[in-house]
Amino acid sequence: MSTPFPFATVAHLETPAGLSATSFDTLRDAIERAPDDSIFQHVTRNVARHPRAQDLAGNDFSRWARAALQAPEAAERLALAGSDPSRPIPEVRAELVSAIERVPARDRRREAAEDATFHFVRTVSVLVPLGLQAGTPGDAIELWPQLDVGSIFYHLIEAPVRGLTEASLAVWLRAEGAKGMARAVEEEVAEGRPIERLRRELGARWRRSQIGRRVAEKAGAPESERRRDATATIARLAERLREEGDAR
Amino acid sequence: MSEVLARPAAQTPAGGWLAKYEPVVGSGTLRALEALARRLRGHRIVMVNTTKTGGGVAEILHRVVVILNELGVPTTWEVMEGDDRFFGVTKRMHNALHGHVEPLTDGDKEVFRERTRIEADRLALDGDLIFIHDPQPAGLIEHRRLPGQKWVWRCHIDLSRRDENYWEFLRPLVAQYDTAIFSHIGFVPPLDLPTYLVPPSIDPFAEKNREMGEDEVESVMKELGLEDRGHWVTQISRFDRIKDPLGVIEAYRLVRKRRAAAKLLLAGGGASDDPEGAEVLAEVRERAKGLAGVTILELPSGSDREVNALQRASTVVLQKSLREGFALTVSEALWKRRAVVASAVGGIPLQVLHERTGLLVHSIEGTALQTIRLLDNLELRRELGAEGREHVRDNFLHTREVRDYMAAFVALL
Repeated sequence: MSTPFPFATVAHLETPAGLSATSFDTLRDAIERAPDDSIFQHVTRNVARHPRAQDLAGNDFSRWARAALQAPEAAERLALAGSDPSRPIPEVRAELVSAIERVPARDRRREAAEDATFHFVRTVSVLVPLGLQAGTPGDAIELWPQLDVGSIFYHLIEAPVRGLTEASLAVWLRAEGAKGMARAVEEEVAEGRPIERLRRELGARWRRSQIGRRVAEKAGAPESERRRDATATIARLAERLREEGDAR
Repeated sequence: MSEVLARPAAQTPAGGWLAKYEPVVGSGTLRALEALARRLRGHRIVMVNTTKTGGGVAEILHRVVVILNELGVPTTWEVMEGDDRFFGVTKRMHNALHGHVEPLTDGDKEVFRERTRIEADRLALDGDLIFIHDPQPAGLIEHRRLPGQKWVWRCHIDLSRRDENYWEFLRPLVAQYDTAIFSHIGFVPPLDLPTYLVPPSIDPFAEKNREMGEDEVESVMKELGLEDRGHWVTQISRFDRIKDPLGVIEAYRLVRKRRAAAKLLLAGGGASDDPEGAEVLAEVRERAKGLAGVTILELPSGSDREVNALQRASTVVLQKSLREGFALTVSEALWKRRAVVASAVGGIPLQVLHERTGLLVHSIEGTALQTIRLLDNLELRRELGAEGREHVRDNFLHTREVRDYMAAFVALL
């Protein structure tokens, strides 16, 4: 018997982590000592903090390395290290440290200006139920446009990264037999795109994946019903195109 | 598929603020706010500050209180009153916490304590979440804390250059709170209590930010005697040295040598009721003498419509401050899709993401260089303006501030 999937949303509070950096050396030390919630804040959450961005120009560490330490090469490495938000925090942390260790020794001691110190922040997640639940994978597709950025981020990225499998949408979809939809979630998340773009692209992919099934289901339906459905589909398509136009 | 407990966003009261916000932030965001509000049902919030009018805090509270009530979280707003002596002390306290040197006498402390005692008896602090804004009412907690109440201290000011005498007076009071909230990590003093970072926000429907058509913009420009719509490079800030209006003029001098069509508009208030402001304005006029294309405009307080139009009419908006609090004027310009060049100080780098939502600068030369770059590049102005608006939509509108406050309350309960 299938288990319904209850959607929740998350509000992220930010709190000082008590660490700071003024150079690559101090940045590496702080990254090594920072709590997981701080790496989560500065790297993993990037896609949710700028959900409507056209593109994401790196994470907080890479932006700081570029702006405060004037080190574009290291900034690129740090950006790439955090580009897949689905990766576990220990892996992200190790890759960030490795990126810094490849900075030439002479640059590692370069100091940022006093007012450009990097202050580490950590995320406190406040989770609340949304009052929406999917009984089937098809319901998830229908509910998808109603979810807010926090909800999408939580079920697609935060819950899996934190090991909360019961709140992972991909895990639930797989358990419900929707392996293709689950795979699409994992592939789209790994792209590291801003959440609103992830929402659009994943939603479109899911809808496309349903076309074959729907056509098969409707093959035996009366002509009048097929016409009505076709009209509704065209109307939805027009609405979506209009919304995409507005978004651009 | 089922909906349990959810009140669809579409059912928000007709004409209410939430209904106005829906097309701006989307129904999903409102649904998330409603979900947080449900967690707070049965609790009552009391906001406390020291004025109903004037200043950013009162402006924010006017909206936030209404939005919380629309969400079903009963919220009242109490205003602590005081006499001239009390507000004299708290004005000095405000300045000292901002980094000015101010004396603090035993007499000052007694004035603060005495007024706090009087107001503690008068104010209706009977909610279960008491939300105190800024230092003036911070002492109420000593007199009125009831069992089971949670008290939050929301500090809107930058304490990074605080006068330690004043802070040592205030700190034992703040230490009694359950949570403190600051606008920016750089503003946070050492405190042994849970501390959250909640940036301030703007109201997209306020007179200063509401949508304004080309015709209206032109009409306001005409009223101000600025009919020629060329390439305005504008800084709108009070005439204060930390806003570096003289640096703006020097940057413009460099721009003008290279782009003769550029014009500079320095507009702001603070000169009529502040001797130092008048002095700065006089210096600005003197420095601009003989420099072509400069307009200096003294705006009276409440010139929100004019500010709105001036920002919209500008090709480049500057905020070349030497030091800043949060500088929400930057978000106001970004919301209007303006191309912004701003100093990387205070809360500005949270709003201006370099090369994504605007351009950050560190010097007069940098300001000139980036201004020229934007004057020359319509496509770049459009790209930065579009990203800037989305960045503000996601991070600097009142709905986000309300969400953060509710999340902090939920975390406390």
